[in-house]
Amino acid sequence: MPTQQPAPIGGADPKEAFSPGVGDGAGSQAAERDGLRQRVAERLETGTIALPLLPQVASQVLALTSQPKVDALQLSNLIHRDPALAGQVLRIANSPAYMPSMPIVSLQQAVARLGMETVTEIVLAASLQSGTFKVPGYEGALKRLWRHGLASGLFAKEIARLLRSNVESAFLCGLLHAVGKPALLQVVADAQRERVREKLSRTPVPDDTLGELLAEFHTGVGLRIATSWALPQAVMNAIAFYATFDTAAANRREAAVANLADLFASDLDDASPTFEADIRRQGVVGELNLYPEDMGQLLAKRPVVARTVESMTL
Amino acid sequence: MSTTTAADVQRCDVLVLGSGPAGQKAAIQAVKAGKTVVLIEHERAIGGACVHRGTIPSKTLRESAAQATRLARDADIWGVSPRVGVEVSSLMARLDRVVSAHAHYMGRQIDRNGIERHHGRARFVSPDTVEMTTVAGERAQFTAGVIVVATGSRPRTPPEIPIDHENVLDSDSILSMLYLPTSLTVLGGGVIASEYASIFAALGVKVTMIDRADRPLKFMDGELVEKFVEAFQRAGGTYIGEQTIGGVSFDGVSQVLTTLSDGRVVTSDKMLVALGRAANVDELNLPAAGLAANGRGLLEVDEHCRTANPHIYAVGDVVGPPSLAATAMEQGRRAARHALGLGEDPGINTIPIGIYTIPEMASVGLSEDEAKKRGGSALVGRARFDEVARGQISGITDGLLKLVADGAGKRLLGVHIVGEGATELVHVGQMALLGQMDVDTFVENIFNFPTLAEAYRVAALDLVAKRRS
Repeated sequence: MPTQQPAPIGGADPKEAFSPGVGDGAGSQAAERDGLRQRVAERLETGTIALPLLPQVASQVLALTSQPKVDALQLSNLIHRDPALAGQVLRIANSPAYMPSMPIVSLQQAVARLGMETVTEIVLAASLQSGTFKVPGYEGALKRLWRHGLASGLFAKEIARLLRSNVESAFLCGLLHAVGKPALLQVVADAQRERVREKLSRTPVPDDTLGELLAEFHTGVGLRIATSWALPQAVMNAIAFYATFDTAAANRREAAVANLADLFASDLDDASPTFEADIRRQGVVGELNLYPEDMGQLLAKRPVVARTVESMTL
Repeated sequence: MSTTTAADVQRCDVLVLGSGPAGQKAAIQAVKAGKTVVLIEHERAIGGACVHRGTIPSKTLRESAAQATRLARDADIWGVSPRVGVEVSSLMARLDRVVSAHAHYMGRQIDRNGIERHHGRARFVSPDTVEMTTVAGERAQFTAGVIVVATGSRPRTPPEIPIDHENVLDSDSILSMLYLPTSLTVLGGGVIASEYASIFAALGVKVTMIDRADRPLKFMDGELVEKFVEAFQRAGGTYIGEQTIGGVSFDGVSQVLTTLSDGRVVTSDKMLVALGRAANVDELNLPAAGLAANGRGLLEVDEHCRTANPHIYAVGDVVGPPSLAATAMEQGRRAARHALGLGEDPGINTIPIGIYTIPEMASVGLSEDEAKKRGGSALVGRARFDEVARGQISGITDGLLKLVADGAGKRLLGVHIVGEGATELVHVGQMALLGQMDVDTFVENIFNFPTLAEAYRVAALDLVAKRRS
């Protein structure tokens, strides 16, 4: 059953294999969770969290795309300033997801072949992944969160196209609807380190606790980030209301598109009939007026999106 | 998915497919005549494209553009200058509230009248039975003595133009653009093309409108259109007529390239394709009803909106132009009346046309040409808004009101207006036409001062003067 949670945060990475809690029983685990939750809530309430700075290049890309006339040369120059990013863009542009008929060897060529929007998407995704959030010990979790955001953005485009809505707006809403989660990961990790120092805990944060904390607090953090990054209002509303789109006073459709995109992105590799049956039953399907054959079209896009995510993930 | 047996088929007197302006009025007319009515709507909310993708959203954007025009006119007084990079959503901030209030009101009206409504896709399974599939995939069947098809339309997608909803948009996807582009090419010269072209020009976008006709809105009075084109050009817009499209492509970087039949290439950030609308008939399985769409994809109807199958009526956009909400409502009402043997009342010729360009245009009754054709001659009285005090006070000086009378200059036959407020102002003329009043009525009666309605009096005086000469 798809939920509004991203894929499990933990995983096979040995560095992230969490050991049992300080105590042995379920009671002490609950106490640990409550203690950490309290610490995270305090940090958020007092505002003592460092909001991540949008990497300069991503910030400039966003500024460029918000301008009515985006200059291709400016975009190419911008990417050139960051050699690592330039390399990533070229690698992604040459990946099977974009099927270039011949190798793309320059950024100008990438812009000309793939179009301004696609290159902007690649730059945005690559720079956000590589430069924005760094949480030692949680690299795998971060990567999964970004894969989820990216997949959400790509699904949002497909949903918008089907609904005859604007795909640019949908991509941003999908990509950034849960931008609070990686920032919150940092907060949770810091709070837990503090508790370990104070000998209140000995372990990394268990998967389920981390998932609960992210689900509970990420919207508020996301909105703070969106405000500090001056994201468009539609994106702000998608962050605020994607999980409760039916309460959105504005941009309800964008919020609903982000919601469904989030569901599609939740189990990207799950091709089971259960996933399909479950997602078809979600309330957002009715909200967006997607009939069975419309959902069939979107479900058919999953392998394509999965391939694109694979190629765009660093 | 469930299967349907004969026992599951629900009977009703009148089955209406589509809850836009045409479907609603047909349903309400039928239920008021004591019939049982079932209404099936494909979209989640009632109201059709008019409420959710057409009339109301574009008018909300227009309101912002009109305010921008007024603000720009008085920019020196208020010390304001237009903002760059305006979010389109901020220009439509009130839209969700407006749409929700309107849909709520219509829903209540339908429920209050005892109309049973369902949400699903409808398709004929026989001439008198329709199967509905819900979003969840459940099915139900309905059979009725009278079926009214009011399924509306969607933007037409010409196969040769690559509409991607990213750079090349249609009238649905243009409303969800993030930011205003600096330049926009509009393909088409009809109502939707003209409305959006003038709205975006008023918002400071460099708009190029391209159409095969020598001027836009060919069905409207030529003098009105001339005024509209002048205003559009003053706002920075360009109209390129008598051109067909050789090709449209995205340059892969940032510009949409439009090649015209004369070889010229027009470049712009975005393109709006407004080359008509396609009737929503694809899902109806028309052959099962003994019907077929015509060459333009529309349902053919007679003067009573009856299709080739006498108990099936079609109204609104699904039968083609003029594709205006007010006309669709009247078609719905009249179709229901005819189907139920209630008799038809006169008045179809006095349906006004309102076009929400900047400036607005409105028309009711006969045009000058039609009047001449019908009566051999016609007299026309004109009033420019700059001759009226209210026009000067409000800064609405580029308007024109035309009264068309018979050859003797006595009997009022038509009213045509361009200028802000035209779509409201036209109703004065409509009432005069319905009352079969003479032109002199406007001279002999008193209007509030200062109002734009005074233009009626000025135009009537002009007619009286021509009558004497």
